[in-house]
Amino acid sequence: MTHSTITESRVLDALRAVKDPDLHKDIVSLNFIRNMRIEGDVISFDVNLTTPACPVKERLREESRQAVLAAIPGVSDVRVNMTAEVRRPPAPETGRIKGVKNIIAVGSGKGGVGKSTVAANIAASLARSGARVGLLDADIYGPSIPILMRASGEPEMKDGTIEPVEAHGVKLMSMGYLSGEMPLIWRGPMAHKALQQSLLGVRWGELDYLIVDLPPGTGDVHLTLVQSVPVTGAVIVSTAQDLGLQISMKTLRMFQQTKVPILGIIENMSSYVCPHCGGKDEIFGHGGAVRAAQALGVPVLGEIPLDAAIRKHSDSGVPVVLAEPDSSSARAFSEVTGKLAQQVSIQAFRSIPLTIIEE
Amino acid sequence: MVTIPEERVTPAEIRKKSGEGMVIHWRDGHASTYGARHLRGRCPCAQCVSEATGQRLVSEEHIGPEIAIEAARTVGNYALHFSFTDGHTTGIYTFEYLRRICPCEDCA
Repeated sequence: MTHSTITESRVLDALRAVKDPDLHKDIVSLNFIRNMRIEGDVISFDVNLTTPACPVKERLREESRQAVLAAIPGVSDVRVNMTAEVRRPPAPETGRIKGVKNIIAVGSGKGGVGKSTVAANIAASLARSGARVGLLDADIYGPSIPILMRASGEPEMKDGTIEPVEAHGVKLMSMGYLSGEMPLIWRGPMAHKALQQSLLGVRWGELDYLIVDLPPGTGDVHLTLVQSVPVTGAVIVSTAQDLGLQISMKTLRMFQQTKVPILGIIENMSSYVCPHCGGKDEIFGHGGAVRAAQALGVPVLGEIPLDAAIRKHSDSGVPVVLAEPDSSSARAFSEVTGKLAQQVSIQAFRSIPLTIIEE
Repeated sequence: MVTIPEERVTPAEIRKKSGEGMVIHWRDGHASTYGARHLRGRCPCAQCVSEATGQRLVSEEHIGPEIAIEAARTVGNYALHFSFTDGHTTGIYTFEYLRRICPCEDCA
């Protein structure tokens, strides 16, 4: 057999054997294959995934390589270049933030479960993978993102729009900036206006993901968010403790009632590893979030340990995924982020456009 | 909480028939045709339904036949909002609610 029998259509046929495990379709039908070149007996192409944070990136690379090698004799090398382009879910044009592809809400049933720390680490982790990320601190009761991300300076107003602050490659806006040192003592309508300004009045530019760190519980800010913009999905942060979980379920049901897909539950402070003896203690119990997620049929995105390193780096304003990327806590966050990005991609493929056709 | 099958309350297509009404095709295959007066008379807002007693304060018989929908828009992922020609704009009609008030013979 000669090299001339290697054709683009034969390579594509071979690649149809490779399936994306989340979208349940082959990578050719999903239009992932780009820039194919056949030079002699060497084939090269891009596999354009739906997120740079894809946890199965290496597996798909190897499967693609093997599929071509196995199906077409005479091929000496297959060079697979992994790229990514975050897809935008079909959503109504009205109310959507221009240039922002996905809006992810991070909520919790009660305060103190580490929601903001989780949001900051997810944002930093997505940015580290190469995605364009924004982080909106909508927690009017305790805006903490500027500290967690060590954001210096304040956003500037230019031509009537707010220029976000940038830290660790993430564009930041905090409701805390709207009040300076003063506490935010707001009635509903004020919170509503402030969130709308923070969402729609900020020059976010082109973003793959906008993470919105919500106040704990269910309230005005949540309602404004789900009414103002099409939210791609929501993440619930909880501790394993049953009390915490039961309250989290209310937040979860609020999102369900307003048709915001639940991307998953993250169990935070899942276990404590003693720095002195190495013993593991499950202070808040264990697996509560996993059981609840199974009962409700929503994905578990992962478990984050109660680790002094996370607290230490949070206090100094560098998320642990950046400060100690090889630590077990950082790896736990990266894994959660990968699963979250997968769920967002699934949502982008599953949802149908919701627009009003005018006759 | 009673769970309603998702496809019953998820629209596949939403059409606005100029000012006179709306047609929603649901994912389960059902189609609902709403006249403007039908919708206005079933507004779920706090001005039209008493928050304290749940009693309806404004119903279809209070609405003139000339009522029309000036504008319709989606609310997040879960509801529709209408501006009526009588100036009323405060109702948020969730898809669950819209399916419940489908005026067709099978549903009524």
